[in-house]
Amino acid sequence: MSAMTRHEWLLSDRPTSRRQARLGQAYRTWLSFRTNWLAMVGLGIVVALVLVALFANVIAPYDPVLGGDLRTERFLPPLTGNHLLGTDDLSRDIFSRIVHGSRLTLLVVVLVAVIATPIGLLVGTTAGYFGGWVDTVLMRITDIFLAFPRLILALAFVAALGPGIENAIIAIAITSWPPYARLARAETLTIRDSDFISAARLQGASSARILWGHVTPLCLSSVIIRVTLDMAGIILTAAGLGFLGLGAQPPQPEWGAMIAAGRRFLIDQWWVATMPGVAIFIVSLGFNLLGDGLRDVLDPKARK
Amino acid sequence: MGEVMLQVADLAVTFRRGGDAVHAVQDVSFSVAQGESFGIVGESGSGKSTVLRAICALAPTSAGTIRLRDAPLATPRPARFFRQVQMVFQDPYASLHPRHTIDRVLSEPLAIHGFDRREERIERALEEVGLGGGFRFRYPHQLSGGQRQRVAVARALILEPEVLLLDEPTSALDASIQAEVLNLLDRLRAERGLTYVMVSHDLAVVAHMCDRLMVMQHGRAIEELSRAALAAHRAETDYTRKLLSASEGYTPAEAS
Repeated sequence: MSAMTRHEWLLSDRPTSRRQARLGQAYRTWLSFRTNWLAMVGLGIVVALVLVALFANVIAPYDPVLGGDLRTERFLPPLTGNHLLGTDDLSRDIFSRIVHGSRLTLLVVVLVAVIATPIGLLVGTTAGYFGGWVDTVLMRITDIFLAFPRLILALAFVAALGPGIENAIIAIAITSWPPYARLARAETLTIRDSDFISAARLQGASSARILWGHVTPLCLSSVIIRVTLDMAGIILTAAGLGFLGLGAQPPQPEWGAMIAAGRRFLIDQWWVATMPGVAIFIVSLGFNLLGDGLRDVLDPKARK
Repeated sequence: MGEVMLQVADLAVTFRRGGDAVHAVQDVSFSVAQGESFGIVGESGSGKSTVLRAICALAPTSAGTIRLRDAPLATPRPARFFRQVQMVFQDPYASLHPRHTIDRVLSEPLAIHGFDRREERIERALEEVGLGGGFRFRYPHQLSGGQRQRVAVARALILEPEVLLLDEPTSALDASIQAEVLNLLDRLRAERGLTYVMVSHDLAVVAHMCDRLMVMQHGRAIEELSRAALAAHRAETDYTRKLLSASEGYTPAEAS
């Protein structure tokens, strides 16, 4: 008898331990995700973003903040000398700045996801599960936040807290949780009265246990999909705040701020503003493709 | 008959939504002795499942009292209640959490009530309902309907209750599996001295399982009769007689 391959072990329909069951489930999800090549392209872009951010010091050939000779190296077009994407008005290498800027982009994306997703999940599942006045109060608060255009509300927060990348992150997080709360509430309403929740209640499970252990896992996939699809919007909002001078401050190589700095030279030195724009475009596209792929795999309703 | 285990007196359940009120159950009274198997039959919408849900406080009691071992039940039900009374739901496809393994389904009640020797109890519970250890780490979608219902029975019994409420436990299963699950329930009752309250629209199932039964129509109890009376067709009301003849199935009219 040949030994069981790892593939067979993972796909076994008679797992012998908790770990094997969980890994098997994850492996099945991965197998169906892998068949969607567009989603794999999205995943590739996001992984590349993470790697570039991790190894920015190694990848970037120049310092992102200190420029070269202001007399000879200003506004070099792409592919001149050792400057792959050219240089900007302060003789700084644009490629190096974009590479270092990926750290800021990733920081914004990760922190917003980490702050906004739990708030949205908590508010939404609580409102949906308890109903009544709890639901009314929580959802009206959500409505108030939803009534403002996101960028305007973020602007107001940044204006109150003071400009800077940290405050921009807080402002974006505060303005991006309401859609997740709505989504989680809607999902909770559909499962609140199902038999398996009644069964859990009949076993004496507390509301907190039911919310955390039974309701949240079923809301999580649709919220994760939504967060991933929103990532592009979050990057653009961060870039927009940077563009308006309320996000990252000079000389930080934030992509939106780089576009803002480059727009003065857009006619004669188009590459200064275009290159960070292309970076924003590629990363946004990557998150959108990844989100679409995740929806196909994770959303139970889309499954046949 | 032994000591009275469960007593329901003048139970009424009214669902209110805005200005509307639906009287799902009105003036229902019955009592079940320890170790007895009591059946509730009636057509769809007669309020029979609502009676079971009211016993567990899953439906609101608007009037009447429910007593367990002669002690009135408080709302919300105390933790002790859930170790005495458990329920098996109608649809095994809806009563198991789709993202929890069987292991998790069975270990959660043990964790809530602080039971010891959990590994041992889970393995024994699975064996008792005729599922081997190979099923323990599976997800519900990897099981058939009959296997799922066995898991639901194991989940109800793992807290070692005295009363088991059965809400049409076999109506979602096909005929061959129905018999399997009914035999399993019969065996477990004999082994553990459980008290059953079973709801069904199938008189044959109730006649097989229950010592006494109550017939419900439009939210009211209209007749109570014993198994012997049922077998001899000694029904007192027209509705029960109609139900009885309907349960015999289709008989071709005797054309001459």
